[in-house]
Amino acid sequence: MQNYISQQNFNALLDSLISQGKRVVAPRTNAGTVLYEPLANAADMVIDQLPRRSGKEAFFPLCEDIMTYQKEGQKIELQDIDPTRFLETVLVGVRPCDAAAIPVLDAVFSWDYKDEFFLERRKKTTIIGLACTQADDACFCTAVGLTPADPKGADLFLTPLEGGGYACETQSEKGEALVANNKELFAEPNGYKPLPLAEPQTGKFDLKKVKAWLDEHFEDPAWDSIATRCVGCGACAFVCPACHCFDIVDEGTEKQGKRRKNWDACGFWKFTHHASGHNPRDQQPKRYRNRIMHKFKYYDDKFGQTLCTGCGRCIRLCPVGIDIADILQDIDKIEVKVKVEENS
Amino acid sequence: MTQPIDTSIYAAVTAAIQGEAKRILSEGQVTAIVGYAAARRKGSAQPIVISQPDDAQKLIFTPACVNNLAVYLTKAKKEIPKTGKIGIVVKGCDLKALAGLMGESQLKRENLYLIGVPCAGVLGSTIQPDTELTSDSIAPKCTECNERMPPECDFVPAVQVPVNQGLEKKYAAEIARLEALTPQERWAYWKEQFSKCIKCYACRQVCPFCFCEQCLCDRNKPQMVETTPRPAGNFAWHIVRAMHLAGRCAGCAECERVCPMDIPLNLLNRKMAKELKELFEHEAGFEVQEKGPLNSFTDKDDQSFIK
Repeated sequence: MQNYISQQNFNALLDSLISQGKRVVAPRTNAGTVLYEPLANAADMVIDQLPRRSGKEAFFPLCEDIMTYQKEGQKIELQDIDPTRFLETVLVGVRPCDAAAIPVLDAVFSWDYKDEFFLERRKKTTIIGLACTQADDACFCTAVGLTPADPKGADLFLTPLEGGGYACETQSEKGEALVANNKELFAEPNGYKPLPLAEPQTGKFDLKKVKAWLDEHFEDPAWDSIATRCVGCGACAFVCPACHCFDIVDEGTEKQGKRRKNWDACGFWKFTHHASGHNPRDQQPKRYRNRIMHKFKYYDDKFGQTLCTGCGRCIRLCPVGIDIADILQDIDKIEVKVKVEENS
Repeated sequence: MTQPIDTSIYAAVTAAIQGEAKRILSEGQVTAIVGYAAARRKGSAQPIVISQPDDAQKLIFTPACVNNLAVYLTKAKKEIPKTGKIGIVVKGCDLKALAGLMGESQLKRENLYLIGVPCAGVLGSTIQPDTELTSDSIAPKCTECNERMPPECDFVPAVQVPVNQGLEKKYAAEIARLEALTPQERWAYWKEQFSKCIKCYACRQVCPFCFCEQCLCDRNKPQMVETTPRPAGNFAWHIVRAMHLAGRCAGCAECERVCPMDIPLNLLNRKMAKELKELFEHEAGFEVQEKGPLNSFTDKDDQSFIK
């Protein structure tokens, strides 16, 4: 099924969802920076820019309370957070690199332990994806198996058209329901042409070859030359649509407080710092190695896909210019014999 | 109106840095050099540590050479070899950080070979590194810079830095604007800015003066500052940092440049610098000072607060 919606009707759709009490999260300017944030009016949406942070925070916020405690005398009271209170949400204007990361996160958060916070939000969220028409030389979605028109992860996928408006393709029951409930805002395809798609300006690399090298080179002098410059902040992990490590902290007083789940990053020295004082990743290159290994080997070993969607945010925002696409291209250039598993 | 910035000297600066780096590495005067190299993206640069004379040709200087490389010589960065003399490529603003680190006994002048850069300015942001350097894209710190030729280096390329006249002093203008607000309006301004903070600590990690073995904000037994990216913890973090840098910050503005959320952090540091100048006539400069104004006492200090 294909359909058309004008920009005006699209805004009307979002305003109508807001008035129904739904949380509509879309790119919006906050103190000069475009971020995915809840909208009060559809007119505040800045749909033509890739937000500085990814869409993951609609399901996996920077910080969330997971429990509260109160203590009075000998009486200790623990209170769980009730995930059923989470609002029905529509996440809007999600480019393929952000949308494709969401199923990648689903695999982790519903694997051995079912993360009720993530999964409940996920269940209650409808994702409106958007084909991408802008790219720079940090973008590399096409090198990790996506395209600027890949609808993966979206419930309803929009393609911007010449002359305004969008072609809409439903991708799931949630997407179909959204269109069915707002039929009057959609029209027959009007014959407009789609805007030209983005063309990521980064050379491709062979993910299989990269993984084959990583399989054999946990120890390698290359890690020092790649990551000695890394200063150990969490910028790359925090702007990444696929990074999902978190830390749990108790904050408050001895009388009352909250247990919170916060984003964490493998670049931090504290990430693997043991209570004994020992740190198995005692130097920055070992921490950066984990970033690459997790994305292109460990995650692949476990879930059969890559933990990177090529959005390029880590490249644009690394304080010291570390360029993950450049590193992967360099690994790709190394002659690696891809192991052929013997039939036995 | 946007004015172009003349960076035509950078080709000659690059050639001179390469020549000097090759010479001092070949002669064994230094064991390694920290400098800038071109990276993959058009116009981009990244820090590099070289130890072979043949690698000297990798060194460059362009408007994208934004980093304050002094951070690589601090004890926060243990991966850079600390044995023997190290060469480092420094802009004037970076050199002030080195002087501060020497004053705090973190570095010794005799262990450094300073390759000074005659600098016409660098970019304020390298998110798109091939941006042309203009009065709009130039780093705000460069609009207030009077130190385009770093003094007392071991080597400085012999070129004349063109004078860019009439650039608006961006920090002075913004500080004046904020000072004119009511306390409530200023609070609202910073509340909005800090609401974006994600506690990635990029500001801390690039700062040459954030060399504490364990940052107060990383302590959890007991927790000193809320680590959570929420309003209380975000305010606490940025105020703790501004106070800890007062009288030490040399103004390289790296914290502000690297902030992935565009928080104008250097405004806090510039405001503190302004206060310290007024209170103690102190300014971070090229002179190595053993004690800063907040860890020393002189009978000239203002004592009017004692009632």
